[in-house]
Amino acid sequence: MTRTWAIATREYASFFRTPLGWIVAALFLFLSGLVFAQQTLRPGEPASLRSFFGVWWSMLVFIAPSISMRLFAEELRTGTIEPLMSAPVSEAGLATGKFAGALMFLMTCLAPTLIYAGVLEALSRPDYGPIAAGYLGVVLLGMMYLSVGLLFSSLTSSQTLAFMLTLFVLILSEVGATAAAARLDEPWAGIARSLSVQPRIADFARGIIDTGHVSFFLIMSAFFILSTALALRVRRWH
Amino acid sequence: MGPASGVHQCVYAPDPMIQADRVSKLFGRATPSTGSSRVRGVLAVDDVSLTIEPGVVTGLLGPNGAGKTTLIRMMTSYLTPSAGVIRICGHDSVLASGAARASIGYLPESAPVYPEMRVEDFLAYRARIFCVPRDKRKAAMDRALDRCSLADVRHRRIGQLSKGYRQRVGLAAAILHDPAVLILDEPSSGLDPSQIQAMRALVRDLTMGGPTGKRVVLLSSHILPEVSLTCDRVLIIARGRIRADGTPEQLVNNAASTSRSEYVLETLAGLSESATGAISAGVGGLPGVESVHVEVLGDGSRRLKIRPTAEAGDLREAIARAAAASAPGPALRELSRRTPTLEEVFNGIVERPESLVPASGVAS
Repeated sequence: MTRTWAIATREYASFFRTPLGWIVAALFLFLSGLVFAQQTLRPGEPASLRSFFGVWWSMLVFIAPSISMRLFAEELRTGTIEPLMSAPVSEAGLATGKFAGALMFLMTCLAPTLIYAGVLEALSRPDYGPIAAGYLGVVLLGMMYLSVGLLFSSLTSSQTLAFMLTLFVLILSEVGATAAAARLDEPWAGIARSLSVQPRIADFARGIIDTGHVSFFLIMSAFFILSTALALRVRRWH
Repeated sequence: MGPASGVHQCVYAPDPMIQADRVSKLFGRATPSTGSSRVRGVLAVDDVSLTIEPGVVTGLLGPNGAGKTTLIRMMTSYLTPSAGVIRICGHDSVLASGAARASIGYLPESAPVYPEMRVEDFLAYRARIFCVPRDKRKAAMDRALDRCSLADVRHRRIGQLSKGYRQRVGLAAAILHDPAVLILDEPSSGLDPSQIQAMRALVRDLTMGGPTGKRVVLLSSHILPEVSLTCDRVLIIARGRIRADGTPEQLVNNAASTSRSEYVLETLAGLSESATGAISAGVGGLPGVESVHVEVLGDGSRRLKIRPTAEAGDLREAIARAAAASAPGPALRELSRRTPTLEEVFNGIVERPESLVPASGVAS
């Protein structure tokens, strides 16, 4: 646990030591500010961040892979993976540590957006339930996207490739699930629908915390983190 | 969640040692075809067994692609052996990988480090990874920085340091947790001559230390003088197999007894043609002499290269007497025996064809 935490904190700190981390954070805040100003901060709109959360999932499709792409790919390219994987750290500990570092960075990017809730408070009387639920949904979705990116980052030494593959899979799964849900018969349509994240995020934005949705994101994240650990273990055989 | 949670993995066995038992590594896959099992992949390490003892510097010497790095990577658990068992201080490198890895300090080839980190932060990070207790971290870092002469750059970013400094940062990270076993892959590659000398002294110094006072130090190199100057024991590896094992002197002596020396005789500058001919004939007629090759030197002297037969012992006395008997008066200005250098021993071992090695060749 000490080791996992050491990896997580080093990873988190390294986002601030490289230009990439700052650029991602700036881009994210710029886009979310734009969305807030354009869609929420208008006369007559309800004092909620609902539409704001509604578009965040599509922003995360780009932001999460740009955070996750370097996690292992960078270490594989520079060779620092070797002292890391010959240190007494388990593959699962390594994958979890990297994931936790990336998640902490994503949450750091999200933190300044809390100011929007403050803006709403100043102008009107927002309902904090849906806002809290919305943030929970965004964090859970971010976890799943980061874990997918973590896996692809462990498979290649090219950050660009890791980014592209993650982006491709995230978009394909969303578009594919929606298309399949519309065309296939039951029970396949139901399975396809359950893989789509958009309706789940919409529920969170409405203020509904469904344990089904929460478990979905947690289980998917755990699955991809463990797959990463497996991919690292397989690497020792080659 | 204190540092104690991982401490059970950081206990050391009483005898620091590396043991490899019939270890092989096959990259790609073996396909059993009709009659014989044909190897289609690359057999980087081929049935290696060895024991490396503490207190002395052991060198793994071999040309590029001989399997040095692959063997080392299996010792550090970075790679899993295809066959065989490696034990680090008694811990199996696969089944008790955590304990095995905890007792190793490892400097990989070209010392990969995080360029964006400061030296001190990097060492603190490695100390946490190796579960050095919080109250001992500061002392451990100071000791490692001091031993590797890094105290003046401790606040600098690693990316700004020269190659020599970076190599030392990697070494400091490797000795941070006072490991029982220290493995250095090409520790002096990319260093200038004075840095190589400093590295050599440091490596010799590091055989003392570790939990029992005596440390296992294994280094690899493809540079022969490096190994013969630093190491007490040399393992020569080529095409995935250990070809020779011994002290540098033993290797030369063994080679001298099995391979042939050469005798060189030089006549005085003004010596007549006929006298030279007589000496050449006299020496050539000696038992144990296979051939005599005469060449004329610029100053009028003649050089005789005398090649003995394989069984011949020391022929210097016999050659001197034969030369004296063949020509009246003083005739010689030099008579010497050339034994093979470690370089020649090394080349002989490395280039010797070995039928056991698969035809696909070995490269890692």
